[in-house]
Amino acid sequence: MKRREFMAMTAVALMLPGLAAAHGPTRQKITLTTEVAADPAEVWQAIGNFQDMGWHPAVFSTTGEGGNEIDATRVLTLGEEGGPTISEILYKYSDEKMSYSYRITEVAVEVLPVTNYSSHLTVKPLDGGGSEVEWRGAFYRGYPNNDPPENLNDEAAIAAVSGVYQAGLDALVERFGAPGS
Amino acid sequence: MRWSSGLVRRAAKAIALLVVAGLPAAADTAFVTCQNGDALSVFDLTSSAETARWSVPGKPAGVAVSKDGAVFTVSPDSKTVRRYDRAGTVQAETVLDGGPIGIAHDMARGRVFVSDWYNARIWALSDDTLAPITELTTGAAPAGLSLSDDGRFLASADRDADQVSVFDAGTLALLHRVKVGTRPFGLRFASDGRLFVGNVGSNDLSILDPATGSILATVPVGERPYGVAFAAGRAFVTNQYEDTVSVIDMQTLREETRIEVGEYPEGIDATADGTRIVVANWFDNTATIIDAQTLSVSQVLDTCDGPRAFGVFLLGGEE
Repeated sequence: MKRREFMAMTAVALMLPGLAAAHGPTRQKITLTTEVAADPAEVWQAIGNFQDMGWHPAVFSTTGEGGNEIDATRVLTLGEEGGPTISEILYKYSDEKMSYSYRITEVAVEVLPVTNYSSHLTVKPLDGGGSEVEWRGAFYRGYPNNDPPENLNDEAAIAAVSGVYQAGLDALVERFGAPGS
Repeated sequence: MRWSSGLVRRAAKAIALLVVAGLPAAADTAFVTCQNGDALSVFDLTSSAETARWSVPGKPAGVAVSKDGAVFTVSPDSKTVRRYDRAGTVQAETVLDGGPIGIAHDMARGRVFVSDWYNARIWALSDDTLAPITELTTGAAPAGLSLSDDGRFLASADRDADQVSVFDAGTLALLHRVKVGTRPFGLRFASDGRLFVGNVGSNDLSILDPATGSILATVPVGERPYGVAFAAGRAFVTNQYEDTVSVIDMQTLREETRIEVGEYPEGIDATADGTRIVVANWFDNTATIIDAQTLSVSQVLDTCDGPRAFGVFLLGGEE
């Protein structure tokens, strides 16, 4: 992010009373899916560990506590050592369903312009072999009050989360191949 | 003799049920606001068919349906409150400068109340024209509103103040400010007069006596309790982060069970005859119908995109 842009958003954040408490008027949701050639067990082995988000190209490192138990936590460092971080907590986990659900507990809106974010990552079998990976998110925009600036509005939130999911899913296709390829 | 009056009442009820069963069923109608889809799904709960889908611009969430057939919606994005008739014709519309969110209708006094999420107040509007009457001061971020069945009390869940404001619904005077759990959002009066408040931050229900402003009980429920409805001697609470509905016995205030519903369950309401509970599942675009006696899921209906149904959204049939 450009320094000036970062400063501008920090200024916006400082002007808002109760930034952490309130949220925007409309919760957003997105679902992105992709299909890969590997079978579900193999894909789940790669992405089903809450303590290892290393399969996502934007994640530099994952540190956390509690393994895959409910209320386990992790901190994702993005990009490089000392890069921006996202703190998350696990609230559902099922090896059987190959699915886990987590929430963001702390992220600067300059890093990801959302609040009250929750997400599910699921691997499902495809008919005829291979897997479908589904990533779903629910969140409010980064700006909690009326009349948001463009970089913190609903569209910006959707675009940012979609970008994160797409990059992760694309990396899985690259790693496991597309079905029938 | 006491035993006989109970028996007579039960027998009368059984006969009434038989009579009702022999007639064409009175149709309950659900009016489900869909925030992401800018729409409202209308369901006939006898046939379970979606009979209409209205276009409701501005991301509608709040809803209040009245016995006289008026349907009020709140679109927080465009800050617009509308009054529809049950056929979907707009009868009145107004834009409120602030963050309108929750809504409750006082049919007897011709008023409708709308909470202002951003400005710690409630607008009182005339229910026919939606012209402003006055404003009531609440704590920070008022969300859910409810009017007691006997018309005595109006209550708001003031989310960021961790409190409930109770007003005299007639004089509109503030009666009590009551500290509840963390971040109350949805609330509703039971028919016995008690006020049930869902605290999304502390995962419990605060149960209040609105006359004295005292807390009667605090009952733990699931993750992020959002809405409350009542039927068959039970309170039903949507647990938004857990995809379940907690079922609380109204006598013991103990949780009987949790019922699996769709993802992000939010708005919840009971049919007029108290036999069924309807839950809007925001992420799944579905409504779950629960049998209030057997506590089983009897049906799942497809709705428009992003059903919130935040408020009273069921209209009973002709009686």
